[in-house]
Amino acid sequence: MNPLLAQFLAEADDLLSQVDEGLLRLEREPHDADLVNEVFRAAHTIKGSSGLFDFPELTRLTHAAEDLLDAVRGGRLELDATMTDDLLAAFDLMRGWLAHVTTTERLPSSANADGAVLIGRLRAPLGGQDSPAPAGHGPQAAPAPAATAPQWVGALGEEWLETTASWLEATSASLRFVRYTPEEDCYFRGEDPLHLLRQVPAAERFVPVTPAAWPQAAEYDEYACLLSFVLATRAATGELEYLFRYVPEQVEIADLGATALTRLLAGEAAAVAEAGIRLGDAEQAQDARALLEAALHVLSALPQEAAARAARVSSVERAVQSVARALGRDVEFPAHDAESVEAAARALLAALETAVVAEEAVPAPAEETVRSLAPAGPAEETAPAALHPADGAADGGKVGSRTLKVEQEKVDRLMELVGELNVAKNALTFLAASAEEEFGNRILGRRIKDQYAGMHRIAEELQAAVMDVRMLPLSVAFARFPRLVRDLGRKLGKSVELVTDGEDTMADKDVIEALGDPLVHLVRNSLDHGVEAPRVRVEAGKEATATIRLTAVSDGDAVVIEVADDGAGVDPERVKRKAYEKGLITEEQLETLPEAEAVNLLFLPGFSTAETVSDVSGRGVGMDAVKASVERLGGTVTMRSERGAGTVVRLRLPLSMAVTQVMVFSVAGQRFGVPVDAVVETVRVPAGEIGRVLRQEVIQLRGEVVPVVDLAGTLRMPWSPAGATRDVLVMWVGGQKVGLLVERFHREVDVILKPMEGLLADHPAFSGTALLGDGLVLLVLNMKEVLGVAAHAA
Amino acid sequence: MSTDRTPHVLVVDDAATVRYYHRQLLSEAAFRVSEAVNGLEAVELALQTPFDLFVVDVNMPKMDGYACVEALRGEPVGTDAPIIMVSTEDGVHDADRAYAAGANLYLVKPVDGARLVRLATMLTATAPVREETP
Repeated sequence: MNPLLAQFLAEADDLLSQVDEGLLRLEREPHDADLVNEVFRAAHTIKGSSGLFDFPELTRLTHAAEDLLDAVRGGRLELDATMTDDLLAAFDLMRGWLAHVTTTERLPSSANADGAVLIGRLRAPLGGQDSPAPAGHGPQAAPAPAATAPQWVGALGEEWLETTASWLEATSASLRFVRYTPEEDCYFRGEDPLHLLRQVPAAERFVPVTPAAWPQAAEYDEYACLLSFVLATRAATGELEYLFRYVPEQVEIADLGATALTRLLAGEAAAVAEAGIRLGDAEQAQDARALLEAALHVLSALPQEAAARAARVSSVERAVQSVARALGRDVEFPAHDAESVEAAARALLAALETAVVAEEAVPAPAEETVRSLAPAGPAEETAPAALHPADGAADGGKVGSRTLKVEQEKVDRLMELVGELNVAKNALTFLAASAEEEFGNRILGRRIKDQYAGMHRIAEELQAAVMDVRMLPLSVAFARFPRLVRDLGRKLGKSVELVTDGEDTMADKDVIEALGDPLVHLVRNSLDHGVEAPRVRVEAGKEATATIRLTAVSDGDAVVIEVADDGAGVDPERVKRKAYEKGLITEEQLETLPEAEAVNLLFLPGFSTAETVSDVSGRGVGMDAVKASVERLGGTVTMRSERGAGTVVRLRLPLSMAVTQVMVFSVAGQRFGVPVDAVVETVRVPAGEIGRVLRQEVIQLRGEVVPVVDLAGTLRMPWSPAGATRDVLVMWVGGQKVGLLVERFHREVDVILKPMEGLLADHPAFSGTALLGDGLVLLVLNMKEVLGVAAHAA
Repeated sequence: MSTDRTPHVLVVDDAATVRYYHRQLLSEAAFRVSEAVNGLEAVELALQTPFDLFVVDVNMPKMDGYACVEALRGEPVGTDAPIIMVSTEDGVHDADRAYAAGANLYLVKPVDGARLVRLATMLTATAPVREETP
């Protein structure tokens, strides 16, 4: 993708987020003039920049949105919910288009139709001017395509031109036609015509034109470029000029619509002068005239104040001097005052007139203006409202502020390197041990240990610093909810206010990213099942508007996120009955299960309390999915609910997933790890106390029967425990205690878990690998799966 | 003062895409390019650096283009370097305001790139003879 487009996409993306946020805030504070201004400015900037590309639909749509916002800003319209909906829909549509542009570099084919619908809606409140036609606004609309086609366009073929003409007719669009005639010796000047032509964006057709007569074989120079090229493209004139900026004199560009093509086909074109745009000396004359006229303009509006006046006169003098030089003339300013500068400017203008008259081929100035203007037709602000300090302050400061956008991969790479550094660092302790034990040099051993301590401190700080880079505020995860709650609330006919708190709480980016879906699900649940309809709420003596509260607080190594609503709460009896009907609990449990525990039934796979399936939270993905994804992150979910008062779901997640604390043990001489979080205790029991229930080995642990799994057997590793005692690692897995028969315990280590790759990648029993200080690879077990495999093997 | 004779342009625009576009165009035409995101920043930069040309957007936060040009021409900056104003406005009054503020040329966006380069080249042709005023 060309970098200009990439830049535009990135900027537009930022601006669209600003617009969304701004519009939602505006709904609450409709009279915040700064806010209106901010949203307006964002729309305006997108529109302005879109004009650099051939995205007329985008320009038109942003223009309509801008006009509406301008009316709001000017106090001519009051922003209501429908307008906000339409604006949000328009910006959503743009976002979709830009996503399409990101992959294909063009707007989707439906853009025209989709855009027209929204433009109609946006323009409706402006007084029925719902024509989507761009021509309706502003003194200068899209550049009018030339009325006649140059002859060379014919090279594209009559048949193609006919089809194209009817297609252009139907869509009222136009194409840019380019003739590129490289000079014969272009190869010797480092030009590569073919390469250049390949870069023409959105080309519709391309035809090389051979010379009318090839030279005789004897005179034929194979290193001379004798071809010229004609092509048609949807790219904008500006884009083409930019592309051909090194060879402007070899290129002709014409913007042609159906009419011109039809005329050309009808053979009328020959009679009319060439309408294409020629880049060359004629334009220098244009520029010069424009500058001279502007100079006279400035001189006619000089201020009284002396210093300001002097700077203006001097600048005009410089400009006039520049023009004179460019035209190969000398000018004198005897007095360096306004009068002599004006006289010089007038003299130059007169000289230009005579020169231009001599050159009839020069395109009319009017045409030049039209062309350089292009599709942005703006009713931009004319009042000095831009002087508002506004929130634009933040916007202005952004570029200047010292924030760096870094690709995620780079941060991940840093983290990996920190991991490797840790491994290398840990190797020093082995080295120290070896110095003492193998070589009997305790002094050296001590020195190595000292060195290790120093490195350890630095490595820890480095790790903390890198982890800090990965930290994002929870506001990233919360950002989408104002919109989601608003839209869903409207859809469900419920009035809901979203309150967020603690958005500044930081957590690792992986946690934040993985948190998105569970949170959406919880909030949807609250809206759909928790919050009652306004009338029901009023009858129950509550306020008609419900509140959903999203809060985040950090708690040691964890971040706690709560989704709370003041809705109807969970009906424990109904939940129990439902669970019984679905066969999730026994009849006995139905009778005895305490109400407080009933809510936990919601987390069982396949549970859904909504009587009807709605398209909001849907069926299937229930709380069990939320629980599963939170647990995958190493977190926990709990729920409290009070009938009539509301429900609180609390997620507790590790602040960071990058570093895992792992308990290391070995079986059959091979070391394994399990996350320390899951470990309950380590016990040593007499071999004789291992009993059997059915085919499962068990131990009694303070009166509790705990199943024991033989990991070596499960993984088919040859090992049989020896000695009079057995070491057992007791863990929480899937809500129950499980023991693992272990040969030997090692220490706990902090590791950076890497996903399994290669042959073992599909093996579910391992959740990842980590490198230990002595260079050995540690396999970290996924206990749930290990138990599954063990159950199979039994 | 620098003896660098490469003309130094200050592009003033709040839209990053436009700044990028202008930077590309001008630096490929062998200009030195600096950027400012609003009028205020432009004035601050101009106080430190004697630019040879300004390309100024009209609609910007903090300080708009007219005010910016006015400030560049007034004390304490008082530059006589050429200023091209660029805007999406196309009304006679807008051009009037630009010229009253002291701009040397008023163009309408999106600016034809080749034209901007031509104008910039033409206008900075005298830049090297600039004399530092005490």
